[in-house]
Amino acid sequence: MRIVSWALASLIDAGLAVGVATLLCGLAGIGDDNADAFAFGVVGAACTALTAVARRRVAPPARPTAGRVFAGIGLLWTVLVLFGAAVYAGTGSLGRLDDALVESAAGFSTSAVTLLDAAEASRTVVLFRSATGWVGGLIAILIAVVTMPVVLRSTALIGYTTGRRGQDLVPNASTGIRRVLILYSGFTAACVAAYLLSGLGPTDALVVGLGTASTGGFTGRVDSLAGYGGGTHAVAAVGMLVAGAGIFVIWWIVRGRVSPLWRSQELRVFVLLLAVATAAIAIHRDIGWGEAGFMAVSMMSTTGFAVADWTGWGESAAVVLLVAAGIGTMLGSPGGGMKVMRARLLMGSAGGELRRQLDPYALILVRRDGETLTRRTLDRLGGHQVAFVVLVGSGAMLLGISGVSLLGSVWGAVSAVSTVGPAMGEIGAYGRLEGLGRPGRLALVPLMMGGRMSIPPLLAGVGLVLRWYRVAVRQSRFQSRLADRRHARSESGNDDG
Amino acid sequence: MASRPDPDTPDLDPGLSRGWLASTTLHVIGLALAAVSVGMLACTLLEALTSRRDTAALAVSALLTGTAGGLLSYITRPGVIRKRHIFATVAWTWILITVVGALPFILSGTFAFGGAGFVEQVVNSVFESASGFSASGSTVLADFESPGRGLMMYRQLTHWYGGMGVVVLAVAVLPFLGVGGLELISAEAPGPSSDRLTPRVSETARRLWVVYIGFTLCAALAFFAADGFSSLYDAVAHAFTVAATGGFSVHADSIGHYDSVAVETVAVVFMILGGTSFSMHWRAVADRTLPYHRNSEFRSYLTMLGLTATVIVILLWLENGFPLGTSIRAGVFTVASLGTSTGLSNATGPGSPGDYVMWVAGAQLVLLFLMVVGGCTGSTSGGIKVMRMRVLGLMMLRTVRHTQTPHAVIPIRLGRDVIGEGVVSRVAGFFLLHFLLVISGLVAVTALEGDLVSALGAVVSALGNMGPALNESGPTSNFAVAFSQPARLVLALLMVIGRLEIFPILLAAMGLADRVRSSRRHGPPFLHQVSRRLGSIAGSRSDDV
Repeated sequence: MRIVSWALASLIDAGLAVGVATLLCGLAGIGDDNADAFAFGVVGAACTALTAVARRRVAPPARPTAGRVFAGIGLLWTVLVLFGAAVYAGTGSLGRLDDALVESAAGFSTSAVTLLDAAEASRTVVLFRSATGWVGGLIAILIAVVTMPVVLRSTALIGYTTGRRGQDLVPNASTGIRRVLILYSGFTAACVAAYLLSGLGPTDALVVGLGTASTGGFTGRVDSLAGYGGGTHAVAAVGMLVAGAGIFVIWWIVRGRVSPLWRSQELRVFVLLLAVATAAIAIHRDIGWGEAGFMAVSMMSTTGFAVADWTGWGESAAVVLLVAAGIGTMLGSPGGGMKVMRARLLMGSAGGELRRQLDPYALILVRRDGETLTRRTLDRLGGHQVAFVVLVGSGAMLLGISGVSLLGSVWGAVSAVSTVGPAMGEIGAYGRLEGLGRPGRLALVPLMMGGRMSIPPLLAGVGLVLRWYRVAVRQSRFQSRLADRRHARSESGNDDG
Repeated sequence: MASRPDPDTPDLDPGLSRGWLASTTLHVIGLALAAVSVGMLACTLLEALTSRRDTAALAVSALLTGTAGGLLSYITRPGVIRKRHIFATVAWTWILITVVGALPFILSGTFAFGGAGFVEQVVNSVFESASGFSASGSTVLADFESPGRGLMMYRQLTHWYGGMGVVVLAVAVLPFLGVGGLELISAEAPGPSSDRLTPRVSETARRLWVVYIGFTLCAALAFFAADGFSSLYDAVAHAFTVAATGGFSVHADSIGHYDSVAVETVAVVFMILGGTSFSMHWRAVADRTLPYHRNSEFRSYLTMLGLTATVIVILLWLENGFPLGTSIRAGVFTVASLGTSTGLSNATGPGSPGDYVMWVAGAQLVLLFLMVVGGCTGSTSGGIKVMRMRVLGLMMLRTVRHTQTPHAVIPIRLGRDVIGEGVVSRVAGFFLLHFLLVISGLVAVTALEGDLVSALGAVVSALGNMGPALNESGPTSNFAVAFSQPARLVLALLMVIGRLEIFPILLAAMGLADRVRSSRRHGPPFLHQVSRRLGSIAGSRSDDV
């Protein structure tokens, strides 16, 4: 008998991907630290075998409800992080369980913060850390371009979907998954090859390549990319730009389609914002255009690579980078942030409200790639934005209460929710978490996961909790009423007697 | 006997006005300037009777402002008023009042300390004036001893004018001129909708002013009694501040100067009442009942203040290591001050328990949240307002429910009332613009030399008409230390934008852009009107000849 469950089916698929990745990391580590390689190999093989067997017994439902899909996404990320933490702690890569949890959350959420000591960690561990980011990026893309628009098949959720262009890349779920896998893997392979050509060794090229394609930003070095040459920096900048632009842009480039590239409003805004951010940093602070551009694209693609200690560039540059990180990437990218398209639509909506003050009956149309969005969609986007601000605000408070400085709390919350990682204050430009106290590190976990899940699953989780609470309250009221009636009946029976 | 015109009728009886230039904007500006000059005159008298240091500066300012106001209101008459003109009227009135209101500071050389040049003095004066009229309370004043009592009282009075709005004052006069004031009230009054007490705007404005004056008198008496009847001047000055939820004080260490629990308690009570809708106060007085507990916004407001005060007291007690009594005193006062967008401080000096920049980051972030929210709609406080925050929260909850049931129709309710989708959209738009202004302001201020935390605090504080901010712009410092001159001007502009609830200034800017565009085609509209008028005069003279 097959179990029909969307959450379980997606969990098993993700488990299979993680299992294969862990196994490959174990195999790649042979010859460096054989104990680690063996441990990771065994865990990877066991996970792969278990999920392969379970896959035959579980099937996704034909038409899952929105609530269950979102809740399933939340569950999926949570289980992945716990699995990663168990691997780090179980294999002794990170001694403490809380450190393992932070590292795992940073990996799967594609955040460029780490506790791993690259000099001491084995090749297997470094590759596993990079691979968790790659798997996290893959799942993020699949959720954005396959799950939301195809599985939910709901135009009412258009604010979270990819619009008309999505139908071109993802005509149905199975084709979409296949194409995304091919494109994402191909792009990663291209990045690794380019890094090899730029002079990096095979392991470094693989680690940095995985970190670039997934916008994870992990390099396995304490100074990120600062120690590498100009060629590597150029490859990283182009790679981050493409990764931040998203899977649709890669699809158009692969198919040789120039016209969608020109017509895409989102791409135009993304490039424009990058140019403005670069110019703002370079002109105001007399910083080299190359470094300014690199950091702008690193922050906006939410990768988190650094070629210099940008925290010393001054307050205005920091604010520009903060805003770039908050806006984030294009839809269909493994990166985080509010997303360029949503920011643009919200701007259009705000402008419309301004005009409506003068003419209350004005028909204000907000369009996305030729589609006119309904007021309902815009309202949902508004709710989404409020939730984003609430998440960042409560995250900053959580960090502040955990003993992090005011600057570190604000920057750290924006950076963690946008899945960037590095921040001004205690975390620093290279994303080292040693400067942060243990409560502060743990406070980053829900923020990174909240940012990675994106807002809808998070809201759905809240919705489910509220619903359970409401049902529980109703049930308890019902029970108490029933008990009262019984009590009253028994009393009246006694009186009659 | 001529009957009085309907105050809500936009068309005018030309016989009632002597003005030949039809411009509602200029006419309202004229009336507002005249009103401000009355305040300047009163402060001149106080100055003449007390310290006499700045009598001439105040007298000249009153004369110039009064003449300009009188002349403008004399030569202009209200024209046909459209929605675009209303926003322009409100915005330009505030901007001009701010600039003209800086005259006493410039002429008296209040900011001539520390080798400041003329430009810096002007910038500081405009900043202080903007902070006063917007009821913010941010200050660049470092020397509180040199200015005379009249000038310091004028500084407090700018708060009082700004509290309820100079434009509302003009609305009370406008019905005599026949201009519809309802639109002006809704453009000026804080909140998603104006809370009309009566169908007639003039009557509403009159009642609000009665409550406002009564509130100020009560606060003055309470301060006077709490301070042991030692200084009526101090009591009145602080009454102006709490009524307007401003933040200026006549002492460098604000309420901390008294180091008195009684004075702080009075301040807390009146700040919380100042952050409450004034129409509710009217109902409480007129109906002799307490309507507060029935108002859902007021309940949310008190809950917010209570919860944040509890969190801060716990943090101060556990994290900062203050004794519990000190934590309660510092926490409750600061929450009441920042939660109502007043900005008074009970810090007795840098590093004292009331100096919240020394508090743990978590507590400061709670204060930042309070700076964003502000008080109730219909009050004199700034910020986004509790009502709007509730709508935004409900909007987010609706999005939560839509993730479960995407097609459900879920209305947003406040109390028992369903809020129209138009209002919800407007609130969302307002929040977006507020958010955008915070980011733009942050970029501008940091680009003009200011550290990130101070800049974030100052921008949020300016837009929320709060006063003191974080870090270098905290309660025991001043904005001249933390920010460059251009950054101070940006913050002054943000204060005015925040006071007018964002929309009027942006719409006025849009209107100005349209005018510039149209004047390129047809020539300036005012010049066109003036030349037509001169032409008609010339024509009538030639007829006489």
